[in-house]
Amino acid sequence: MTTNPAELAAQPYSGEKARLSRHFDYLILVLAFFLYIGSFHLNVALTVGDWDFWLDWKDRQWWPLITPLMMITFPAAVQSLLWERFRLPMGATLCMCCLLIGSWITRVFAYHYWNYFPINMVLPATMLPSALVLDVILMLTNSMTFTAIFGSAAFALLFYPSNWPMFGMFHVPVEYGGAQLTIADLFGFQYIRAGMPEYLRIIERGTLRTYGQYATPLASFFSALLCTLMYTLWWHLGKWFATVRYLKKI
Amino acid sequence: MLKRLGFLGCVLTTLAAGISVAHAHGEKALEPFIRMRTIQWYDVSWSNPTVEVNDAVTVTGRFHVAEDWPIGVPKPEAAYLNISVPGPVMIRTERYLNGQPWTNSVALRPGADYDFKVVLKARVPGRYHIHPFFNLKDAGPVMGPGRWIEIGGDAAAFSNPVKTLGGEVIDMESYGLATGVMWHGLWLLVGLAWLLWWISRPLFFPRYKMLEAGREAELVTPLDRRIAKVILVAVPVVVLGANAMAQNAYPNTIPLQAALDHIDPLEPVVNTGAVQVKILRAEYRVPGRSMAMTAQIFNGTGHPIRIGEFATAGLRFINAVAVVPSQDETDHLTAAAGLHLDNDAPIQPGERRTVMISATDAIWETEKLDGLIRDADSRLGGLLFFYDDAGQRYITSSSVAVIPRFD
Ligand SMILES: [Cu+2]
Repeated sequence: MTTNPAELAAQPYSGEKARLSRHFDYLILVLAFFLYIGSFHLNVALTVGDWDFWLDWKDRQWWPLITPLMMITFPAAVQSLLWERFRLPMGATLCMCCLLIGSWITRVFAYHYWNYFPINMVLPATMLPSALVLDVILMLTNSMTFTAIFGSAAFALLFYPSNWPMFGMFHVPVEYGGAQLTIADLFGFQYIRAGMPEYLRIIERGTLRTYGQYATPLASFFSALLCTLMYTLWWHLGKWFATVRYLKKI
Repeated sequence: MLKRLGFLGCVLTTLAAGISVAHAHGEKALEPFIRMRTIQWYDVSWSNPTVEVNDAVTVTGRFHVAEDWPIGVPKPEAAYLNISVPGPVMIRTERYLNGQPWTNSVALRPGADYDFKVVLKARVPGRYHIHPFFNLKDAGPVMGPGRWIEIGGDAAAFSNPVKTLGGEVIDMESYGLATGVMWHGLWLLVGLAWLLWWISRPLFFPRYKMLEAGREAELVTPLDRRIAKVILVAVPVVVLGANAMAQNAYPNTIPLQAALDHIDPLEPVVNTGAVQVKILRAEYRVPGRSMAMTAQIFNGTGHPIRIGEFATAGLRFINAVAVVPSQDETDHLTAAAGLHLDNDAPIQPGERRTVMISATDAIWETEKLDGLIRDADSRLGGLLFFYDDAGQRYITSSSVAVIPRFD
């Protein structure tokens, strides 16, 4: 057992009751871990899907728009549960760690070992920096509204700079077949995906494209705006799902 | 929207089944009229069926885009020549359409002719049945003829060096992986540390009780708040700093390339007008598995010609009287003597003759093309190959409605 001062302070139980309650903590944590790996991972695979799976989908417009918007969902719901009921500011980080562990397992086993894709072609994006900031903003402000506005905005705006150190190098140009391609595009061409012809990519389309190099910041700001709404929606969903009926009996 | 839903369905299936497709690459899945009247493949050949890892395999072939493109299939405004492999057991190093390098998708023109060449490089040892096939936007995969390829050697020996515009040679198999793992590892460590910081305390019941008892202040200590403030500042600083460093390290990056390739068709190869064919009637005899076509043929060439072959949807019916099938045609999709005429005499220059052509073989049924007669679009399409006495070949593409006969 740790003898953390915080623990001594924040412990209304003692003896056998404390021990049981701690066992319960572990049980819930393990269940939550697998639940979030399963459900959040599935949710992201279904919504962000190819943008997160493939290098040659990680464009300047749709990727920074869709990814934060769809990845703020579960964190908001879990934050509402963990903060409102337990004052635990770790909902977003917990979701994101589970998601990344699940993603890495899928990429390594399903994509790499089973289907032969090089792992670098299917690197997932990270939203952990965003999630950490979202958690501490909620903790420091203790306000859903502030977090929805400033936390969600930070969540979306940090996405692209968090990931550029990993994915920027795949945007180095290559001359191929008499035209310029990014290394990411070349992955898509060389490493054959029978079910994913090039034209299925939803990239660099839409009106933001006309803003050229400003496409990414604009997409990020747009995403930030939508994240605010998405955060609020999922916060309430989380609240609605989380029931303390059983807790009250103890 | 439907496409996205369909795609979601695919992802679900994929997650359940693990992405893998063993050998059912959907040759027979598509409706017969799409397989017969969109991409009409011919002359597909493979360089060598047995290779080692890192060796090249070349697929070449030609196709005609049917004039009678089905109304139910969107026009081929974006098409992609793909290879049916179970994951990248081979990589595609080069692809050409009509001699032009071709990396993105392309618009095809109904009635036009194309030839293609795809160079593959063996990557994972094994034995694979491989087809060239067309992904047609909103239609599905139209399979070309397949071939077993045997790859020997050691997968670990595979290398794929690529030279960037800046002159740097990178290995695609590992490029960027260490950087990715490093950043993911770093953030995961920070994230897990933050989780551990909270998880190491009594959690759910105790905290809930204390919150209910109004002892909220004890749940988040001043030390927690100090750490949170550090995170609030340090995380964005690290993120923006790393981002700036990455931009400095790779200043000349470009966006993903999303242009459609533009490639003109060949000079007409099929339906040049030298030989003209009009199929007047086609009957499919279900019990006999035989397609009987009444064709009016005009020989506008200067030589006597004979009908040598009828090809549709990857199936080939050969007239053994007119051409001697080569060794390659022992393929199960080739009926080596499946084409019969009511009159085998050559058609003379300038002659217009009505010929009864019957293409008979069980492959109509085994390849599920007989389903045509139960389709909403039951028109048949295919290529007829004519040969003159000098060995010159003339190809026509025709289509006609099919009438079933159940007797
Ligand atoms: Cu096959």
